[in-house]
Amino acid sequence: MSTALETPVPLLRTVSRAAGWGGLGLIAITVALSDFLAREPAGTRGAGPMLSVPSEVYPFGTDLLGRDMLSETLHGLSQTAGHALIGAVAAIILGGLFGAVAARLPRPFSASLRGMMGIFAAVPALLLTILLIGLTARGFAPLMAGLAAAPFAFVRAFDHVDLASLHAEYARATGIPAMTLLRRDLTYEFRETLASIAARALAAVAIILSTASFLGFGAEPPARDLGLMIAAAKSSYYTAWWTAAFPALALLMLILCARLAAGLEEGERP
Amino acid sequence: MSDPVLEIADLSVSRAGATVLDRFSLKLEAGESVVVLGETGSGKEALLGVLGGFADTNDTIAGTIRFAGGEARPAAKRLRPGIRVAYLPNPRSHPLAPHATVLAQLERVVARKLGAPPGSAREELRLALEKMPGGVTLQLLEAKPGQLDPVTLAVALLAATSAQTPALVLADRAMADLGPSAERALLTALAEEKKRLGFALLYATGGLQPAARLGGRVIVIRAGRVVEEGDAERLMSGHAHAYTRTLFKALPRLTLDQARPRARGQPLLQVHGLSLQPENELRDGITFELRRGASLAFVGEDGSGRRAHLRAVLGLDRAPAGRVVFDAVDLNILSQAMASRIRRRIAFITGTDDSLDPRMTIWDTVEEPLRAHLNLTGDLTAGYREAALKRVGLASHDGKRRVAGLSAFDKRRLQVARAIVGAPLLVVVDEPLRGLDAFARTIMREVLTDFRVTQDPAFLVITSDFTVAQALADEAMVFRDGKIVERGAIVDLLRDPKDEATKALIEAVTLPNLSQDEGSV
Amino acid sequence: MLNFAARQAGRLAVGILGTVAIAAAISAIAEPRAHGLLPFLEAAASRLAHFLQFNLGTSAITGLSAAHELGQRLPPTLLLVLGGGAIALVVGVPLGLLFGAGPVRRAAAPLMQIVTAAPVFCAGLALAYGAGHLLHWPLSVNMPSGAPVAPDEALRIAALPVLTVGLAGAAAVQLALRRAASLSSGAAFRTGLKRLGLGALEIERLYVVPQVLAGLVASAGEIMLALLSAAVVAEWVFNRPGAADLFVKSVALHDWNMTALILVVFAGLSFATDFLGSLAGFVFANEGQP
Repeated sequence: MSTALETPVPLLRTVSRAAGWGGLGLIAITVALSDFLAREPAGTRGAGPMLSVPSEVYPFGTDLLGRDMLSETLHGLSQTAGHALIGAVAAIILGGLFGAVAARLPRPFSASLRGMMGIFAAVPALLLTILLIGLTARGFAPLMAGLAAAPFAFVRAFDHVDLASLHAEYARATGIPAMTLLRRDLTYEFRETLASIAARALAAVAIILSTASFLGFGAEPPARDLGLMIAAAKSSYYTAWWTAAFPALALLMLILCARLAAGLEEGERP
Repeated sequence: MSDPVLEIADLSVSRAGATVLDRFSLKLEAGESVVVLGETGSGKEALLGVLGGFADTNDTIAGTIRFAGGEARPAAKRLRPGIRVAYLPNPRSHPLAPHATVLAQLERVVARKLGAPPGSAREELRLALEKMPGGVTLQLLEAKPGQLDPVTLAVALLAATSAQTPALVLADRAMADLGPSAERALLTALAEEKKRLGFALLYATGGLQPAARLGGRVIVIRAGRVVEEGDAERLMSGHAHAYTRTLFKALPRLTLDQARPRARGQPLLQVHGLSLQPENELRDGITFELRRGASLAFVGEDGSGRRAHLRAVLGLDRAPAGRVVFDAVDLNILSQAMASRIRRRIAFITGTDDSLDPRMTIWDTVEEPLRAHLNLTGDLTAGYREAALKRVGLASHDGKRRVAGLSAFDKRRLQVARAIVGAPLLVVVDEPLRGLDAFARTIMREVLTDFRVTQDPAFLVITSDFTVAQALADEAMVFRDGKIVERGAIVDLLRDPKDEATKALIEAVTLPNLSQDEGSV
Repeated sequence: MLNFAARQAGRLAVGILGTVAIAAAISAIAEPRAHGLLPFLEAAASRLAHFLQFNLGTSAITGLSAAHELGQRLPPTLLLVLGGGAIALVVGVPLGLLFGAGPVRRAAAPLMQIVTAAPVFCAGLALAYGAGHLLHWPLSVNMPSGAPVAPDEALRIAALPVLTVGLAGAAAVQLALRRAASLSSGAAFRTGLKRLGLGALEIERLYVVPQVLAGLVASAGEIMLALLSAAVVAEWVFNRPGAADLFVKSVALHDWNMTALILVVFAGLSFATDFLGSLAGFVFANEGQP
């Protein structure tokens, strides 16, 4: 009997994925515990000395207003991660909806829908997000980032679903109902990659959102957001590196973990 | 004759501790041919790898090899043969780059082997093509591999081989799965080139046609060991090792004492004046009726229009003229939901395995038809699934394995299992043995026959091989150039073929040296 | 070839028309009377008609002609994108080829993830910090735009944003390259041609590298998006007055006319690059074939 082996997953890939998910888990725990871990509650006016270097009392130093950077970074991380999650969920739902509809419409409609998505995809997602935030209320920033990232989720999720594929055609010819085929696509495309898509969307939305806040769109000053904190540190970081370095590091870890968790890089699907 | 082209002594290959090839010895004279016959993984690939200089990097190799005019040297991964060795691959293994023309690539190969400029290599290629069947020209080869059919590619590869004027040719399942007529024509051409150029030929195959057509010596190899060695005629007669005999049982013969098809039940599939061209409905439209439990084969070469007609019959493509009634209803006028309810009694088994979704698991594949149409409990579904998998011999496989990771043989049987659970009224079988080696063919044929006998669905068979048609169907329609040229009971067609196309198709699967067998053509 | 070009040109035209229509809708927001759906659509249609006659309206902030404003701001941005693109190719192509092929391919993926995880604004700030502290370059992050600088310092000040954009582009370039390389890495023809007798280098040179490069050229549109996106951030971080910076300010100040115009220009830029890239990629992939 012939026994073809399944292609083995390279160890490195498994390890890096596990590390990514582990990191995301740690971030989630940190965010959940941030109120306990942070010395100062969110939104307090600083009580410490201005721009103090990292020390035993202030492990991450203090900022211009004398706030503890450790607490600030923790609050910023929870806000950024939370908003990125909302945005990623929005991106997946919107993208999935677009994709599922586009893949199932008759050819001319599906082509024109894809063409419309193409127009949005021709504008950098960052600019689109800024525009959308500018057009709407700022509170919707995460949703808008998700909307701007939706074409990306859309393309990824339904790349593989090819209704003209022979097996789909044979399935229809043997009376497999369209709903079963849709379920097939959903279970097999999504069960395999929903986690990856979610993680990748999380990374993309985190970048877009924090960049938008950095540029002044999205979170507004009383709220703590990593992008906003880095923007605020722009005037001081040259002499007080810790004001920008720790929020940037937190942001970097969030993005890196999400990307590693997503596993294969775009286009590197087996 | 004193200096053999190739002399192998005690060649052993092991990979990760397992022996792939065990003390293989062979002496091959110029102009002689050896067919190495074995299943996939029997060690024939490892043998070719060593001789062709493309052994697997993890292989450990022992033994000695001597090429003509050289010393006997220990076998190694990189041999320096000192004679010209040409490699002849199967076109279906995609040996050429898809984005450059066939001509440019083959010209480069020939030029490199001959150490000649491209211009003269092209001339050699042109001369070699002239001796090939099929009228393939250099102009035709100025196309990318994907634009040419496999048979044309095989001709081109064969021409490139003989343009190299090699001393030794290593053929790797070179003509397999090209259809009986093409395989026969190409094997004949290969034998003639061998005679003309006097090269030694080592032909590795999993199928039996090369052994039967090329003659000469046959080495039967299994799990790295030589089971038997002898000339083709002796091995094909009954006096051989048990394993060899089982193998050759897979080489089907046409038989003339098949019973006439008996009358069957209600009409299942009625086709009236179905035509792919709108204007000539009356002249060329096809009309036939398939009753429940009956069987019909569409026989013809690749591209003769069998598949196009089948697609129209099943409503996959809309035919411009004609009417198709399945189980007393016209599928084209039904709503989608109704049509899909009726269509569930149709099953597909294809030789390209593309009816299976590569993402699905074995279990899901078999259960899907049950889940889609019936409201069964999980236990009952599992029971049907297990019964079907058992019947095709897949019950011991891990049900969570994905289709994409299965071998062709497993996929083929999985298709049958999926068909079995659906209890179909009509089974469409499209070249069911393509791409399988001899052993798998025997089993697949038995699985299909068993399916037909026990569940009695109607069979609609598409094939270019009359032996397959006869094994699975009683009646046949012969296609050529998009038209039906002859139809009738298969026994009658075999006894008294009227059309040239039918004659050619029968000829293609008639073996030259089996006439002593009673009852065969 | 002609068919392909026509199809791509069709896509280009549809894309640009679509963008213009969207831009018209955005700039119609600026119309004071456009409340309710019908008046809004009317306004959008009239804006569209104006756009098609190259009447681009005025900026709500400066009151100057929007086209004139953009004409002043666009050249620095284009220079930034061009310079960044050059750096992206110089850095990204060797990286992509190195990591896209050969034994390091597998190990490269997580490594590249780490390197490319940094958002552009973090990278820009880090570059500025490094340049200031290690190389003692004149500080440019908090410099007011238009401040007089010595000519030899101007070059160094200009180098940082270009470098930032270039690095962001390099990430996109190497990704496109590695994607193209991974497509042909397991292809059957590699072993097939080797067995037929061609040398490994010959196969790479003739049949693999052109495909990989074609893949790179075909993703030109994507790379352009990365460059434009980075240009927005770089102009903001380094206080460079450019079109990208103007876009951010226009949105912030609700100058929809200006916003729409810049949007059209950027989308047109990325559509045009995509068009040229896919044509060039097609020619590359079918080298010498009609």
